Order: sequence, then structure tokens, then C-alpha cells
Amino acid sequence: MENLVVAIVILAIVAVSVTKIVIEKKRGAKCIGCPVSKSSGGCCCCDHSANE
Amino acid sequence: MKVALAGNPNSGKTTLFNAITGRVEHVGNWAGVTVEKKEGNIKKSLVEGNADIIAVDLPGAYSLSPFTSEESITSEFVKKENPDVIINIVDATNLSRSLFFTTQLLELGIPVVIALNKSDLSKKKGITINVAALSEKLQCPVIETVSTVTRKNGLQDLISAAVSVKGKKQKSPFEGLEVDLTDKKSVEAADKKRFELVKAIVAEVEDRKTSSNRQTRQDAVDRVLAHKWLGIPIFALVMWAVFSISQTYVGPFFADTFVGWIDTFNGWVEGLLGDRVSPVLKAILLDGIIGGVGAVVGFLPLIMVLFFLLALLEDCGYMARVAVVMDRFFKKVGLSGKSIIPMIIGTGCAIPGIMATRTIKNERQRRTTAMLTPFMPCGAKVPVIALFAGVFFNDSAWVGTLMYFVGIALIIIGALIVVRITGEKNKRSYFIMELPEYKFPSIKRALVEMFSRAKAFIVKAGTIILLCNAAVQIMQTFNWKFQVVAEGAENTSILATIASPFAILLIPLGFGVWQLAAASLTGFIAKENVVGTLAVVYSITNFIDTEEFALINGATDVAGVMGLTSAAALAYLMFNLFTPPCFAAIGAMNAEMEDKKWLWGAIAFQLFTGYTVAFVTYQAGTLITTGAFGSGFLPGLIAVTAMIGCVAYLMKKGEQKATAKSALKSA
Repeated sequence: MENLVVAIVILAIVAVSVTKIVIEKKRGAKCIGCPVSKSSGGCCCCDHSANE
Repeated sequence: MKVALAGNPNSGKTTLFNAITGRVEHVGNWAGVTVEKKEGNIKKSLVEGNADIIAVDLPGAYSLSPFTSEESITSEFVKKENPDVIINIVDATNLSRSLFFTTQLLELGIPVVIALNKSDLSKKKGITINVAALSEKLQCPVIETVSTVTRKNGLQDLISAAVSVKGKKQKSPFEGLEVDLTDKKSVEAADKKRFELVKAIVAEVEDRKTSSNRQTRQDAVDRVLAHKWLGIPIFALVMWAVFSISQTYVGPFFADTFVGWIDTFNGWVEGLLGDRVSPVLKAILLDGIIGGVGAVVGFLPLIMVLFFLLALLEDCGYMARVAVVMDRFFKKVGLSGKSIIPMIIGTGCAIPGIMATRTIKNERQRRTTAMLTPFMPCGAKVPVIALFAGVFFNDSAWVGTLMYFVGIALIIIGALIVVRITGEKNKRSYFIMELPEYKFPSIKRALVEMFSRAKAFIVKAGTIILLCNAAVQIMQTFNWKFQVVAEGAENTSILATIASPFAILLIPLGFGVWQLAAASLTGFIAKENVVGTLAVVYSITNFIDTEEFALINGATDVAGVMGLTSAAALAYLMFNLFTPPCFAAIGAMNAEMEDKKWLWGAIAFQLFTGYTVAFVTYQAGTLITTGAFGSGFLPGLIAVTAMIGCVAYLMKKGEQKATAKSALKSA
């Protein structure tokens, strides 16, 4: 019984971590948690070739 | 309603954006911090009538001509996305420079409201601006703002003005010519006319008591801090002080208490589990999840202090001087003068650093900068540095400082190699960066930056690092038949069998054991994993406990468990710092380089660099300390010589290509 409870706790922790990663990735984070690594996700992708 | 925030670099757009939206986007007291647009809802307290207003923070631009990528983002947005209103942030301390861009914005027909920002600073400098006259001249509302204070900052008036002009047609005081942007002469002629107009407006509305060509105290300080030779030892001294404070004095003081809490929590969970729970499950939860994450999180106070100090340095204007000091070296080795900005941003996280390379026009320089930026130790590498400095070097602050300077040296050497391999002549690029004024750094801003980094660190520890540590613990507990490995037979575990082949390659570097190889491998997922994996594979729950593994007094027990000499430890640290960065940063490199050949070349070069630096460090260190070379010297020498040979061959090929190119040109 104790083993089952601990196994469920471990699985729950892992599930929460995976969910957080998926959410962050969907929000456009390149590095999980990093406040400055989100992509713009907008239309304004710069065209480097135009700047050469 | 959509409002675009546009203005010159370092005019305070992001600070104003944060103030009106309540967001905490990274700001810096220098130009070029924002390279992408950011959106946020304007706070309801600033909006009359509860309307939804979206503010878009755009990268700084001096003009609407799309000559650099950040300017093209701004230019494209204001021209194609038709925001309802443009809030033009004008630096009140530098009106004549700022209004050039303003006159271009006024010609678009979109209603413009001018935020005369930093108006507190301009008053302190004895600059008086006739706001009503300026508004009349430009035919748009002008509001004085101070976005760094919470009261009487003019922000409510600014938003009200923006709402009131929505839907109105903007008149322009200057009808611009339709300029052919490909024709340099016509662009220059139009710019000249525009400058004349701006000059006339400024002469009428501005009363400047100080003469701009007078030598100020700031100039005197700059002559020392940004001096071409003195600037480097001063920078070294500053970094040494930063590491001393963060990793020897203040950081460990807080870390000690913090780690005590983690230990108490670990003990509490252990007591809760008792003896009835399976040892395997207990190990996964206690050693893998709580122990592994706890070992990494234990460094949080050190990281917080470090980022607090770096934020103070950036905010007071010092980092911009560092950029000036390093600029001359970077230009000499074929990098863009702008390359320094991604590298300084990269000290926080390599990914935004790599993303910031898009401000560099030249393709080769941009790709080279993206490739070399990860050599600057990022925040994720700080726990690794702190661990090895604490355990093997009596917590000497020189270890962290040395890592930054080795990183800079590798960038310079790397740039020299790349310019020869690509066969391009070393084109001198000129980078003019506006030096921000020195100011007393904002403690609030530094605290915001510190907590933002701390939050990021905790999120990463609770996600990627937690999962990795749990996986490492499982892989260490079981063999390939999924049987629990017996005590003393850990080298039959899944983890050991995966890491062992890599460990053989690491023998010449002084750390050819599967545990250390495994930690380096997980470091490619996130660099903090090196610490987490070491904690799991050596069953060390924390590295900072003052009784057992004192960071301040040396931690011989940890060193003994790892079985590394000082030379091997330094080599291991350098290997983890200067081999390719985490996968996320490699992804960012891929996006910015836009060329698979460059990407794989960069990864190979980073592997070559990390391996060679670690080999030289270990073998030279061992020779100095013991009088003989370390283990695996000969095979290591052969491997390193072969890699150097490959690089030399590519350089020769590149030079031949360059010679052929110039011969063709002269013919």
C-alpha cells in the first residue's frame, strides 16, 4: 500500500513537470523558465537576406 | 485598440512598457536590449472606461529605413500592421537625435503621441523643453513622462492622450520625399533635409544650459573605465569582486540557511516514508527527485546575488563601457562591433544572446557570433562553477573570473579561425554605440531582475532537472534486464553502460569515469544537470552544507568522493563550460544561422574547443603539480593533434579560396 502511494506521488510529480514543460513550450519558450527566451510568435520575423 | 511603442534605442521603451503593462521584460541601460516585439495589456488603472488596450514594445530604431533587422521589425510593424496609435518615446535629454525618427513616424498618417521620457533627468541637466510649443510644431500631443517612478509619472495622461487621438488622421510637419532606399545619395539628401527641420524645431523649443561639448565628470570616469588598456584589468577586478561577493561572502551566507531547509524537508520526507517503502522507490524520490533537485536549488542564493550584482552593473551603465573596451578586440578578429551585445546578454542565458545576433547585418559575422556566444558562461553554468570553485579551489573567486576571461579568449581565437576557414577577408566593421549616462543603479530593477532569474531557475529545476534526475536515478538503479543492480555492481547499470564508452574518450582529460561522463551528457539537456547528476550518482544531497561540505572552508569530502585532482577538476569544469551548450541553445543557433553546414560546423568546433582546452588544462596542470603527464597523454595528444590538423586544413582551404577570389577580382 505504501509503495503504491509513493509510486503515485512520484508519477504525479513527473506529470506536473511534464505538463509545465508542454505549457511553456506552447507559449514559445525556447529555454524552460527563462524569462527572456520567448520567441515573438508574431508576424515580424526579420528577413536577414533583405538586410545584407 | 493596439498601441505601438516606438523610439530610439535606450530611450526607455521597455521600461515604459513594463510600467504601463505591469510586465517584467528585461531592460538594460544601453542600446540594443530589445530585438523582438513584445505585447502586453495596458493596466486597467491607467485606462479610463475599462477599455482593452494592447501595447506592443518594438525594438529601438533610429529611422524607419530597414537597414538593420531590429529597425526592419519596427518599420514593418508600424507600416504593415497599422496600430491604432503610435506612442513615440522621445529621450528628453537628447531631443535633437530623437526627433529625426519622430518626423518619419508623423508621415505615416497613424496618430502619434509623444512621450517625452526621462524628463526628470533632462530637468536635472538644466534642459528646459517648451512642451506646448513642441506639441504645436509636431501637431501631436506631447506628454512628459518618467517611467521609472510610480507616482506623478505622466503615464495616465499618456494613455488618455493615446485613447483621445485614436481614429484621427495624423498631420505631418514635414512632407518627406519618396526616397529610393537603394540610392544612397537620395537617402542622404532626404536625411539632410530632415535634420535641418529637426534642428530648427529643437532651436525653438529647447533651452539647454549645459554646453554639450563640455567635458563632464562622466567623461573623466569614461577615460579610465573605457580606456583601451586599463579597461581590461578593471573589468577583471569588477568580475572578481562580483564572484567574491556572490560566491564567497553573501551568497553562501544565505545558501547555508536555504540548504538547511532543503535538508530538513528531505529528512521529514524520509521519516514519513519509514522502512516499509521499497528502497527503489525511496531512492527515486529522496535521492533522485528531492536530492538531485535540492543539490541544484541549493545554489539559488548564490545565483540570485550574482544576478543582482550584474543587474546593478548593467543599470549603472558599466556594461556598456565593457562593450566599448571589448569592441576593438572583436573588430580586429573579424567580428562585428555589435558582437559584444549578444555576448554580454549571453552571460544571463545563451538563448537570448544568440537571438540578439540578428542585429548583425553581415551573415558571416552573425553566424560566427551565434557560434561563439555560448562560450560566455551563462547563468545555468554558474552552479557548476560554484560547485567546483567551492569543492576544489577553496571557493576562490578567481575561478569564476577566469572562466569568463577564458570564454572571451576562446571567442577571440575562435573568430580568428572562422574568418580564415570561411576565406573572407577581415572586413572592418564600424559600430557606434551610444554610451548611456552613468546613474545610480535602481535597486528595485535589480531586485526584479534577480527574482525573475530566481523564478526561472526554480521552474527549470522543477521541470527539466527534476525529470533528468529521476531518469538518472532509475537508470542508475536498474540494469538492462530491469533488475535492481547490486551494491558494488553499479557499473552494470543502464546509466553506467551508456556513459562508459564516453568515459574512455575522457581519460586523457583526467575524468574518465562513467559518473562524470554521465553528468556531462545530461548537461547537454540543461547545464545545471551536471550538478544534479553528480549529486545523484555520488549520493550527495547537497554541496553547500557548512558542516559536511563547507563551501567556504573547502570540501575535501566531496573532492574525495569524486576522486579528482585539482587539475582534473579544472579540466572537467572547462569541458562542461566550453563544449556545445544545452540543446535549447543549439536550437537557437540553428534558427539564427539558417544553415545546417554552419550549425554542424559550430557544434564540431565547440566540441573540439572544449576537448582541447580540457586536455591542455589537465595535462599541463598535472605536469606542473606532479612533474609528469597525466593518464592517457599519448592518445589524447594524437586526438587533439588530429583535430588541430583538421582545423588547419580547413583554414588553408579557406585561405586558398580567398586568394582565388581576390585574383578573380583583380583580373
